[in-house]
Amino acid sequence: MKTIYNKLLILMLFLPFGIFAQSVLDGVVTDSKTRQTLPGVNVVIQGSSTGTSTDLDGKFRLADLKKGDKIDFSFIGFQTQTITYNDQKSVAVVLEEETNLLQEVVVQIGYGNVKKKDLTGSVAVLGEKDFNKGAVVTVENLLSGKIAGVSINTSGAPGSGSEIRIRGGSSLGASNDPLIVLDGLPLSPIGVNGATSILSSINPNDIASFTILKDASATAIYGSRASNGVIIITTKKGSSKLAVDYNFQYGSGKAYNKIDVFSANDYRSLINSRGNAGQIAKLGTANTDWQDAIYRRTDFVDNNISIRGKAFGVLPARLSFGNTYQEGLRLTNELTRNTFSLNLTPSLFKDHLKLSLAANYSTQKNRFADGVEGAAIRFDPTQPIYDANSPYDGFFEYHTVNQFGQAQYKNPSIANPVAQLLQTYDTGSNNRFFGNFEIDYKFHFLPELRAVINLGYDRNSGTRNTNRPSTSRAGYNNNLFSYGTRFNAENVAVNKLLDAYLVYKKEIGKVDFDATAGYSYQKFENSGLEGYDAAVITNASIAQRPFIADPVVLLGYFARANFNVSDKYLLTLSYRRDGTSRFGSKNRFGNFPAAAFAWKLKEDFFKNSTLISDLKLRIGYGLTGQQEIGNTLFYLPLYNIGNPNSQYTFGNTTLPVGQPAPYNKNLKWEETATYNAGLDFGIASNKVTGSIDVYYKKSTDLFQRNAPFADGSNFTNEGPQNIGSLSIKGIELGVDFAIFKTDKFQWDVNVNASKYERRIDKIAAGLPIFDGASGAGTGGTSQILAEGYTPNSFYVYKQLFNVAGKPIEGAYADLNGDGIINGSDRYIHYNGDPDLQLGFTSNIKCYNFDLTFNLRASIGNRLLNTYKSTGSYYSQLQNGELQNTSPNVLNTNFGIQTGESVISDIFIENASFLRMDYATLGYTFPKWLEGKASLRLFAGVQNPFIITNYSGLDPELSGGIDQTIYPRQRQILFGANVKF
Amino acid sequence: MKNIKLNLILLLCLALSFTSCESDLEVKPSGITQQTVEQFYAQPDGYKKGLAGVYGNLSLTGTGGAESSNLGGIDAGTSQYSRVLWYMQSLSADEAVWSYENDPGVREIQKNIWTASNPIVRGMFSRAMFQVALVNEYLRQTSPDVLSGRGVTDATLLADIKNFRAESRAIRALAYYHLMDLYGKAAFVTENDPVGTTGPQYNRQQLFDYIESELIAILPDLKAPKTNEKGRLDQGFANMVLAKIYLNAEVYINANRFQDCMNACQAVMAGGYTLNTNYLNNFKADNDTSNEMIFSIESSGVTTQNYGATTIIINGQVGSLEANGAQFGVGGFGGALRLRRELVQKFNGTQFNNDSRKNIISGTRSIDIPNVSDRDTGYLLAKYSNISSGNIAGISTTFVETDYPLFRLADTYLMYAEAQMRRDNAGADGTSLGYLNQLRERANNGTTIANVASADLNYIIDERARELHWEGHRRQDLIRFGRYSGNAYNWQWKGNAVNGVPFSSNLNVFPLPQAALQSNPNLTQNTGY
Repeated sequence: MKTIYNKLLILMLFLPFGIFAQSVLDGVVTDSKTRQTLPGVNVVIQGSSTGTSTDLDGKFRLADLKKGDKIDFSFIGFQTQTITYNDQKSVAVVLEEETNLLQEVVVQIGYGNVKKKDLTGSVAVLGEKDFNKGAVVTVENLLSGKIAGVSINTSGAPGSGSEIRIRGGSSLGASNDPLIVLDGLPLSPIGVNGATSILSSINPNDIASFTILKDASATAIYGSRASNGVIIITTKKGSSKLAVDYNFQYGSGKAYNKIDVFSANDYRSLINSRGNAGQIAKLGTANTDWQDAIYRRTDFVDNNISIRGKAFGVLPARLSFGNTYQEGLRLTNELTRNTFSLNLTPSLFKDHLKLSLAANYSTQKNRFADGVEGAAIRFDPTQPIYDANSPYDGFFEYHTVNQFGQAQYKNPSIANPVAQLLQTYDTGSNNRFFGNFEIDYKFHFLPELRAVINLGYDRNSGTRNTNRPSTSRAGYNNNLFSYGTRFNAENVAVNKLLDAYLVYKKEIGKVDFDATAGYSYQKFENSGLEGYDAAVITNASIAQRPFIADPVVLLGYFARANFNVSDKYLLTLSYRRDGTSRFGSKNRFGNFPAAAFAWKLKEDFFKNSTLISDLKLRIGYGLTGQQEIGNTLFYLPLYNIGNPNSQYTFGNTTLPVGQPAPYNKNLKWEETATYNAGLDFGIASNKVTGSIDVYYKKSTDLFQRNAPFADGSNFTNEGPQNIGSLSIKGIELGVDFAIFKTDKFQWDVNVNASKYERRIDKIAAGLPIFDGASGAGTGGTSQILAEGYTPNSFYVYKQLFNVAGKPIEGAYADLNGDGIINGSDRYIHYNGDPDLQLGFTSNIKCYNFDLTFNLRASIGNRLLNTYKSTGSYYSQLQNGELQNTSPNVLNTNFGIQTGESVISDIFIENASFLRMDYATLGYTFPKWLEGKASLRLFAGVQNPFIITNYSGLDPELSGGIDQTIYPRQRQILFGANVKF
Repeated sequence: MKNIKLNLILLLCLALSFTSCESDLEVKPSGITQQTVEQFYAQPDGYKKGLAGVYGNLSLTGTGGAESSNLGGIDAGTSQYSRVLWYMQSLSADEAVWSYENDPGVREIQKNIWTASNPIVRGMFSRAMFQVALVNEYLRQTSPDVLSGRGVTDATLLADIKNFRAESRAIRALAYYHLMDLYGKAAFVTENDPVGTTGPQYNRQQLFDYIESELIAILPDLKAPKTNEKGRLDQGFANMVLAKIYLNAEVYINANRFQDCMNACQAVMAGGYTLNTNYLNNFKADNDTSNEMIFSIESSGVTTQNYGATTIIINGQVGSLEANGAQFGVGGFGGALRLRRELVQKFNGTQFNNDSRKNIISGTRSIDIPNVSDRDTGYLLAKYSNISSGNIAGISTTFVETDYPLFRLADTYLMYAEAQMRRDNAGADGTSLGYLNQLRERANNGTTIANVASADLNYIIDERARELHWEGHRRQDLIRFGRYSGNAYNWQWKGNAVNGVPFSSNLNVFPLPQAALQSNPNLTQNTGY
């Protein structure tokens, strides 16, 4: 990773030396190719700590030289050159560019690293310069759209979690989340009260790089949790030079799209023309746009400062502080985050002992906001937001006064969404300490051998309090009395890690060999107090209750060997044996081998080609495991104990019920075999570099969360069983173009594309599983898991149309021809997976200007538009009180919503889109403060546009079902970046 | 070589120092929400909590509150025992419609077009079979061998456990009775089969023989009627189940067991139950205290929360136009349940003008329900309530205090009279007439104005509708009277037509759920499905 840091130094400016001693050497360093001078080149006298670096004009001055001193000139991307001091007064040094700049990038691959050019698996690397720009609050958004086969879907809530998928997801009933490893510590998926998401505690400014391991030959070293890929996050470390970096960013955002509803006037005319007398009488006189009313203009302020250098001249250290404040679109929603990060990387005994400490502390304060979009789009637009006579703190609510003289809201009627936001105080606070300590010892008597111990620790604690006054309709109401809400929940999640391994590295003749073997132990714990509503405590049995989740323990033994023959043939073999506390002793351990072979074809076939500058073929195979199912002890016969709401009363004694829990003692590892073939290429002196990969993944012994048990044979009718198989095949392409690369003008473009297809090959008893909310009815479903189809394909009724092409209400095709329209007439119709995903990033630097933007596209993904499927009916214009609905009702002309109509195939829409996430324009003042610093000012737009035919709010949703979402905002950004 | 040796030794040391951690993979539950079997029964009241688990399945859908479920393939709240039972017995007949047909499976049930993949069909089968599995486990854990192995020697506890076991077996018999009635067959598993046994298929004859012999066998170990703790069953319960299977024996096994039915009814009646002078007190928040109740399934706004039959019926009674939740002490579901026309018509006639069983809200509504989704049509019922006989509303406006009246004395009276008429192939005799008129007098504020001088079977089927509507008996009754399938009797939306059309007699039993068939190869599908 050091190399990536060094790149940063390019931008660093240092005062020229001003010492006038006798033995002084002046010089200038230039690039052999462009003949331009090179600023920031490290100039160091061998064997001493004396050194400098070139100034902006590529000049340097070294003093106190002795004759015969050897001076090294090093610069990232160039070959290091050494000259000998012979009392000359000046020197002109010309540095040769490295043949392939990217090749020397060192890549973290889990329990070690390799040079990028020696990779054998499908691995993508993203350094700081490649990160997404713009308003990035959570770390994963640094890489959205950057890497073929990696999709990241984040909601509009500040700091909200993302659904991250690498190559689609290889499980059905278990987690499809990739493993995320932060500085060697695999993060826990356990959420904590008061925080918005697991990754939201991490400051994006502290991240140095991401490595994404995509195929199993790469991931199998993380065996048990690697079936869905691995994201390795490395934080920034200290450096040899003192550098201070300050970033400031301000953003102002607003909603840019609304769900289509009837305006107040349109609504009035609709009711006046269609409604009955009772409905017309209910019309109000106000003109309210409820969606405008629940959203606001938002502020975003982000401050980060970091100091890097050598503490006390010996201890490389980095200290950073970040503060982020972001408002959500919903009136009251806001996130405040402070992060502190300390990195120490001392090196002792002539680099024999390297220590690395990363300590991070993060606090978050959130005010959460209820999802009131559903109420806002359905609330009668002719009613006002406020009502001076209302007992609900002056908010308009549908209500009557009951026999006790208390206000009683009408049932059914919709709650005022503005009131719900403003009267709800839903706050959370979260404190998290996480980090790792690594000891890396190179044996004195055997320098080829290193021992590494890595200790990781993550303690995440949080509290959440929800309060509403008794004057809030959204509060707890019972028996005509309003109690308000007082809710509290807290928990602490702890994640501990110990890795210990040995690394042996040796060159034997033409073979470079390295081997790693070790042990890993990790334990996840979670405990706290379960939330309760204090207002409901009228019975002593309902008190706040402690809970202690079953700890999850994972331990593994791993080994890996890399062979590099003649720098041409590369072979990686790895093996991991993993144990989990989730399975019984018989099935507890799984074995996960992998092998990969790479052949640098360039050397053999294109040695003299000027067109092909690099070519490497990779093939790999690996087996990975999955044990991340919700149940922690499903293999054990246990008893479930009733909670205070699940008791039974005998006589005067109320007892928590005790019922045997279902169990499956045969539960075992789900296994995924991955076959991957790839080609890494470089064209025209690596002006174009890229990779193409094809893969096939097959998951067997699939965890089926709800495979049927024979009724009466167990203590449920379905549960986790290892039945069935799922396969994914896909192709990925990622290409970097260095279109222009001159001193004054540089233009880099990244393009990536990926396509995959998932198929269920076999599920338990061939029995389809219904899934995916339909958005209507209790437990209504719109999707199916069926053999031969993509998981969560839509399972819908086929709408019939009249001659005019209009849908006929209640008429569906009798697909099985039995004369009855029932569940047997549903059919499989598309799915939510995209046919093709594309990413594009452009970086232009021209003189001191820089312009960056990205584009992302998804093609062929389908969505069930539940707003339309549940709203396109005239019957929706009243439910107790009047309510607004989708103007699509004018097209469908449907009267009444039914169980069939909400899953009619007319509501499955093509949700292909092209979106720009950000565009930023910056200008750098390289010699600010008389050359003591550099200053970059920038402005940008977050989420500037989206092009889609989808008729809902936003087509970028995972899972295929569009229920009301927290909209993404569009922000205008300004910022400054100062470096000393 | 030396170096390599050293490496190996180091590696070995490293590995050895960690293998001890493998024992960490043996994780035990914290004991709060889950316990090991040993932990659970080592508690002082473990055996009683286990019994609460057995009873609890009649009322609760899981151990984690009303949203939790032991079962899959059906919405958690819908899977409650008495709710699926009520859907299959009442919604599938002429008593009520559920407005929200987008709740999976409901439309097919109430319009008699169900298939083997219907979630309610599966939910009932699985819930009843889960009841069987719960009892089997409880019997295994309380067998004399296991108890002595655990060192349970307390004589009082051992005597209690004897009762607990008998009561559990009675509940298992109830579950098999429901399976026999609804599906005509079931997988048969007992405490002698280890967990994982799929069990052979038992047909109606086999189930009938088992239920009868089982109940007769445990009668001596059950407490005498009304001598047990509130909430627990007694001999009255067992005799009611016996009376039910005997009354329907012609349907089940083509056997005339009407005398046995009368005997069982008489055994119940001898238990000291009396008609509640206020009919509606059997359906209020404190209906568990009604002296008419033989067995009711508990519900509570705090401690026994469930989306069971009484919760959804009372909330469902609240009208879309009337918004009359306060009348029943609940918030309501905006008009979820309405009466079918034919049930309303059972109260046609001046003799029912003051009948306390007639609790119909008509308002400006039409009696017809031309479109089930239109909640403003069809009459409403105001029979159940979350307000007590002392006019105190339940603590929660969602989860009611009202118990589900599984068996009550009025039913026993009607069963006795019907069995007598069927036995004698004649009208009601004096004893029967006495019972029937007791119900009429109770319904008319103690007066005899609506008393009858004679009664035949037609009287019985309609009187059962008037007395027991929305109590989950209707489908069984109509089948016994030959009026369920076929064209003897039609009602709105029968067979999926607005004014009712006949459906095939194979629908007199429900199909075995697809998932049950596929997970247990011993089971075969019912004819016609």
